[in-house]
Amino acid sequence: MTKKRTVAVGIVATLIISLMAAIAPAHAARDLKGSQCGREGLVRTIKGVTYTCERVSGKLQYAEGRKLSGTLNVLCTPQELWCVEMTKAFQEKTGITTKFIRLSSGESLTRLIASKGNPEFDVWTGGPNDSHISGRIQGVLDTYKSPTRNMLKAQFKDSDGYWTGIYMGALGFCSNKNELKRLGLKAPTSWNDLLNPKYKGNIMMAHPGTSGTAYTTLWSQVLRLGSEDAAIDYMKELNKNILSYTRSGAGPTGPLGRGEIATGLVFSHDCTAAILRGNPLVVSFPKEGTGFEIGGIALVKGAKNPDAAKAYIDFALSAEAQNIGPAKAESFQILTNPSARYDRRMVNLKKVTLLNYEAEAAGVAAAKLKARFDKEVALTSSAK
Amino acid sequence: MTKTTGKLELRNLTKEFGNGNEKVVAVNELSLTINPGEFVTLLGPSGCGKTTALRMVAGFESPTSGQVLLDGEDLSALTPDRRPMGMVFQSYALFPHMTVFDNVAYGLKVKKFSTAQIKKEVNEILDSMNLAHLTNRAPNQLSGGQQQRVALARAMVVKPKVLLFDEPLSNLDAKLRAQMRIEIRTIQRRLGITSIFVTHDQDEAMSLSDRIVVMRNAVVEQSGTPEEIYRRPSSVFVADFIGRSNFLAVSEVKKSNNGAVTVEASGVRLDVNAHPQALKSTHPHLLVRPESISVKKSGTANENRKANEGIVKSVVFYGNHVEYSIDTPHQTISAVVSDPVYDDIVPVGAVAKINFDESRAWLLPSDSAVITTEE
Amino acid sequence: MALKKSGSKYDIFTKIALVLVVAIIFFLIVLPLINILIFSTQPTGSVIVRNALSDEVTRQILWNTMKMGLSVAFLGTLLGFLMAYTQARVDFKGKKILHIINLIPIISPPFAFATAIIVLFGRSGIITRGIFDWRPTLYGYPGLVLVLSLSFFPIAYMNLLGMLRSLDPALDEAGSSLGANKLRVFRTVTLPLLIPGFAGSFLLLFIESIADLANPLIIGGSYTVLASRAYMAINGDYDIPMAAGYSFLLLLPALLVFLVQRYWAQRKNVVSVTGKPSGRSTPVTSPIARFFLLSVTFLLTTLILMVYATVLLGAFVRIIGVENSFTLEHFRFLLGGFANAAVKTTTILALIATPLAGIFGMLIAWLVIRKVRRGGEALDFLGMLGIAVPGTVIGIGYAITYNDPVKVAGVTIFPQVAGGAAILGGAIAIVMVYVIRSSPAGQRSGISLLQQIDPSIEEASASLGAAGGRTFRLVTLPLISGAFLSGLMYAFAHSMTTLSPIIFLVTPDISILTQKILAEADQGRYGNVFALCCMLIVLIMIIGGLINLLVRRFQVSTDRPLVTGR
Repeated sequence: MTKKRTVAVGIVATLIISLMAAIAPAHAARDLKGSQCGREGLVRTIKGVTYTCERVSGKLQYAEGRKLSGTLNVLCTPQELWCVEMTKAFQEKTGITTKFIRLSSGESLTRLIASKGNPEFDVWTGGPNDSHISGRIQGVLDTYKSPTRNMLKAQFKDSDGYWTGIYMGALGFCSNKNELKRLGLKAPTSWNDLLNPKYKGNIMMAHPGTSGTAYTTLWSQVLRLGSEDAAIDYMKELNKNILSYTRSGAGPTGPLGRGEIATGLVFSHDCTAAILRGNPLVVSFPKEGTGFEIGGIALVKGAKNPDAAKAYIDFALSAEAQNIGPAKAESFQILTNPSARYDRRMVNLKKVTLLNYEAEAAGVAAAKLKARFDKEVALTSSAK
Repeated sequence: MTKTTGKLELRNLTKEFGNGNEKVVAVNELSLTINPGEFVTLLGPSGCGKTTALRMVAGFESPTSGQVLLDGEDLSALTPDRRPMGMVFQSYALFPHMTVFDNVAYGLKVKKFSTAQIKKEVNEILDSMNLAHLTNRAPNQLSGGQQQRVALARAMVVKPKVLLFDEPLSNLDAKLRAQMRIEIRTIQRRLGITSIFVTHDQDEAMSLSDRIVVMRNAVVEQSGTPEEIYRRPSSVFVADFIGRSNFLAVSEVKKSNNGAVTVEASGVRLDVNAHPQALKSTHPHLLVRPESISVKKSGTANENRKANEGIVKSVVFYGNHVEYSIDTPHQTISAVVSDPVYDDIVPVGAVAKINFDESRAWLLPSDSAVITTEE
Repeated sequence: MALKKSGSKYDIFTKIALVLVVAIIFFLIVLPLINILIFSTQPTGSVIVRNALSDEVTRQILWNTMKMGLSVAFLGTLLGFLMAYTQARVDFKGKKILHIINLIPIISPPFAFATAIIVLFGRSGIITRGIFDWRPTLYGYPGLVLVLSLSFFPIAYMNLLGMLRSLDPALDEAGSSLGANKLRVFRTVTLPLLIPGFAGSFLLLFIESIADLANPLIIGGSYTVLASRAYMAINGDYDIPMAAGYSFLLLLPALLVFLVQRYWAQRKNVVSVTGKPSGRSTPVTSPIARFFLLSVTFLLTTLILMVYATVLLGAFVRIIGVENSFTLEHFRFLLGGFANAAVKTTTILALIATPLAGIFGMLIAWLVIRKVRRGGEALDFLGMLGIAVPGTVIGIGYAITYNDPVKVAGVTIFPQVAGGAAILGGAIAIVMVYVIRSSPAGQRSGISLLQQIDPSIEEASASLGAAGGRTFRLVTLPLISGAFLSGLMYAFAHSMTTLSPIIFLVTPDISILTQKILAEADQGRYGNVFALCCMLIVLIMIIGGLINLLVRRFQVSTDRPLVTGR
C-alpha cells in the first residue's frame, strides 16, 4: 500500500470512531428511569442523580431520579458501629455528605422535640418503633412511603407512612454460663424462672424510663398476663431479684460478661454480639412468649434535606444496606427486606414464641405505665 | 529579789546541719553560764547562730553535741513542753482563734489550774501590763505593741524559770521598740526571771542586758557587760558591730616596762590602753570612737590631746550633735561632737584640727585570726 | 491587709473590660439559668418543685442526693486531711511522687474510677472475688461514695495542704513552750485553726458530688439522685420542664452551700495573722502516729495506682478479668473511625476554650481585686457560678436557651449556637460551656495571688504613663502568670474530661470524647472505655505539658510574695 492510502484509511477510521463515540451514549450517562431494578440495588446513584426502585404495574423499575445535594443529618439510635457503617455506605453510594449522632430512643425523641422549631436532623433511623409512634404523636415526624415498602410484611410498616421497619429483634434472656453453673441453675426458659430466689441479686435489666428494650420487657408482661396491674405485680416480684437497672438496653451485657450477675434481659442480638466479643454467655427465650421490637425509620418533619432523607430511607430498606448489619457492624437483628441475607447468628424466629406485640397500643400507654413503674417498682430496689 | 533558781549552763553546745560536703555548723562549741535572774543577750548578725542556740535551749533543736543544764539538771532528754521555760516569738505566735484571755490562760490550763485560779492570775497579769481592756479581743484586733505584750504576759504567767526571747521587737516601729524595751526590762527586773534575749539590734542589746554575748559564724566573739563590750571590744568585728568606730592604722607599737602602751597612729603618738592580744598581733588596730574626737577650726589652741589635721568632707547638723567626715592624709575619720557651739562648726572644705582622746582609745588585735592562748 | 482599690476613675480599658465581662457572664451562665427557672414554673416542672417534700418519689431522690453528698464530703475531707497532714508534717521518702499521685484524680476522665473500681472490687472483682472471694455490690450508694470520694479528695487535699503550710510554725512551738504536749497542741492549736479549711473542703466536696452525673449513671445502679433524675427526665420522659424542675431542686442546695463555703474561705485569713511566720514546723515523730498516717497514705496511694493500672491494662486486653489475652482491638476500633472525629474535635475545642477561659478568669480576678469598687463581691460571685451550678443544669439550660436564637422583643440578640442546625454545628455552645466551667479556677487563684501582690507596683506603672490595658498586659499578667498557667492547665484538663453539660450538646458535626466513653460504658464495653480513658490521659499530659512549657517562658518568679512593708 502506498503512503497516501495508509493516511486515508487512518483518517476515515478516526472519523468513524469519533462518530460512533458521539452517537453511542456513555454508559455513565444512561438514564435509568423506567429500566428494570437490577441486582445492583434498590437505590442507585449515577452522576448525583438517585434512582429508587418502585413497583409499577407488577414490575420493579427505577422511578424518577432525584438530584441530591447538600448534607444529610441522621439521628441514629442503634449501636454506634452500625451507625458508622451505614453512614459510610450511604455516603459512598450517593456522594452526599452524611453525618449522624447516636442517641438512645428516649434521647432521640427529646432532641427532636427540643429542636422542633428548627429541626437539626433529616431522618431518624432505628430504635423501637413505639418511640417513632410517640414521635408521630408529638408532631415531629413526616410521612414518606418508600417504594420498597411494598415488599415488606404488614407488621413492618404503619398505614400512614410515618414509620417503616428496618430490623427486628427478639427479647430474650442472656446468661453467664459460669454463674449459672455456680448457682446450680440452667439457662432460664420461662418468665417465672426468673422469680426463683436463687436469682436474688443476680439479674439486671434496663430501666423502662430510659430504655426501649426495658419498655418492651414491661409491655410484654402486659401482653402475656393480660393487664397493666398484673404486669406491675410481676415486675415488683422480679424487682426483688434485680441487682440494678441500667440506662441502656444492652447495658447488662457488661456485668454479664464479667460474671457479676447470672442473667440479663436484653435483646438476643445484643447478647449474640457480646458472645462474639469473647464473653461466656448463652441465649435463651421464655416459652410463654416474648416481646420483640421493630426498629423503625422515619422522616423528620421540616427536614432541611427531605430528598436526601427519602433516599436514605430507601437505602435503609434495601437488602444491600440491611446486609451491612451482620456483615460489618456486629448487629444481628432480623432484617425486614425479604431479599436480605439471613445470617446464622441471627435468632431463629421459628424457635421462639412471640407475643402479639402491638406498637401502637404500647406507644400510647407508654407515659403512664412508665410513671407507674417509677412509683411502684423502680425506687424500691433493695436487692443486693 | 535575789533568785536562787534559774541557773542556766550551756556546755560545748554544737549544732550541725546536713552531712558530708554540705555540712553547715550553725553553733560551734558554745559554752556559757547564766546566773539566776541575769538578763543575757545573744547579739550578732543574721546567720551567726544565736537563734539556733536559743532554740537548743528551748528544746526545739536538739544539739549535735553538748548539753544544756538548768540548775544542774541536764535537759537534753526533755521535750520542749517539759522544760520550765517560757518563750516570746518574733511573730508573737498568738493563737489566732483565741481571745487575749484564752491566749494567756493557755499555759495555766495545761498545768490544770482551776478556773478560778486561772481567772485570777490572768486578770492580774493583764492588769499589770495595762492590757485589761483587751481581755476579750482577738489577736488580729490588736496593734503590734499590744500583741507583743500579750505574748509576754502569756509566757510569764506560768512563772517559768527561764524566759527566752527570739527577736521579739523586730517587727515594731522604732518608738514602740524603745518603749517595749523599757517595759520588758522593768518586768524582768521585778520578777527576776533568768532571761536570754536574741537580737541583731545593738541598741536593744545595750539597753536591756546585764551581759551581752556577741556571736559570729557560730562562735562567741566576746562576752561581757555592755560597757566592757563597748569600751573594751576584743576584736574589730565586735568593735564595729557595736556603736560606730574609727580604726586607725597603727605604724608603731611600744610597750614600756610598767605596762603602758604607746602607739603611733594616723601620724599622732598616743598612750593608750590595749587588749592583751593586741600586743602579740601583727597588725593591731587602734579603735577611736567618733565621740571621743574633738573637731576644731584650725588655729585654735591645743588641748590636752594629741592633734591631727584634715579637710572636712561632710558635716551634718542633727540639732543636738554634729557628725563630721574628715579626710586626713592617712584615712577618713568620723567624728561626733555633742551640743556644738554653732559658730565653732567647721564647714565643708575647711581645714579642721582633730584631737583624739587617748584615754578612750583602745588597741585591738587584727581581726578574723583565731585568738589562741599561745599567741 | 486592706485591699487597695484604684482610687481614680475607671479608664477606658477598665470600662470595656467590665462591660465585656458582664456580657460574657450573662450569656454564658446567667441566661441559661434564668431559662431553667422559667421552664421549671411550667406545669410538669412546677409540680416537681412544689411537691419536692411531699411526693414520696421526689423526697426519696432528695434524700439519696443529700446522703450521698454528705458522705462524700465527709469521707473526702477526711482522706484529704490525712494525706495533707502526712505530706506537711511527716518526714518520709518519696514526698514529691506522693504529691503528684494525690493530684492525678483531678485530671481523671469520667468513668475511669467507676469502671476500674467495678473491675477490681465489684461482684466479680479481680481483688474482691479473685483474692478474697467476696461479692460486694458496689452499684448504688457504696460504690458512688467510694468513687466520688476518691475522685474529689484532692480538692480537700490541696486546700488543707495550703492551709497547713501557711500555719505559723511558731504557733506549735508556742504551745509547746507553754507546756502542752504534741497531741494537745494538735488538738487545741492546729485543728481549730484548720476549721475554715475543713468547712470549705466539706462544702466544696458536697457541691461537686451532688453535681456529678457521670458516676451515678454508671455505678449508681438504682440509687437515683437529682442529677441522674434530671437527666432521665430528658431522656426518658422527654419532658424539658420536668428536667428544669429537677434542675431547680439541684441548683438550690448547690448555690446555698456555695455561698456558705465562700464565707468560710474568707475566714481563712485568720490563720496567718500575727507578724511574719518563721522557722519550719516540727515533724511528727510519735511512732504510733507515723505508723497510722503512713499506712493510710500507703493504702490510699496503692488504691489510686491500682485504678490506673486497671485502666491501662484494661485498654490492652480483650475483657479484663474475663479474657485477659493481649489485644490492640480496642484501639484499632476506636482509631479506625469510631473515635477519630471525637479526638480531633474535643482537643480542638478544648484548646480554643483554654486560653479564653484563662484570660477571662484573670480578667475577672483583676477587676474584682483592683478595679471595681462597689459590686466587686457580686462580680466575684457571678464569675464563680460556672462551677457552683451543677453541670447537668448548665447543659439543660444551654439546650433550652441556645437551640434557638435568643430574641428580645423579636430582635435577635444572640444567634443559635447549640444543636446541629446552629452555626459551626453547635461547636460554639460547647466552647462556651468549656469556658464558663473552667474560668472560675483561674479566677480563684488569680484573686488569691493578686491579694498578695502590692498594688503600688501597678500604681508605679500607671505613674509612668502606662494606661490600664498596658499595665494589665505588661505588669499584672506576668506577675500572676503562675496563677495563669495553673488556670490554663486546669481549663484544658477539665474541658477534656467534662461530661455532664456536654451530653446535651453533641451534634452530628460535633462528637466529644467523654460522650463516646459514656456510650461505651453504657453498653458495658469496658475495653473501649479504658482505651478511651488512656487516650484522654495521654492527650491531657502531652498538651498540658506543652502549655506548661509555653507559658513558663514568660513566667516571672513569684516565690516570695511581693509584699512591701506596710
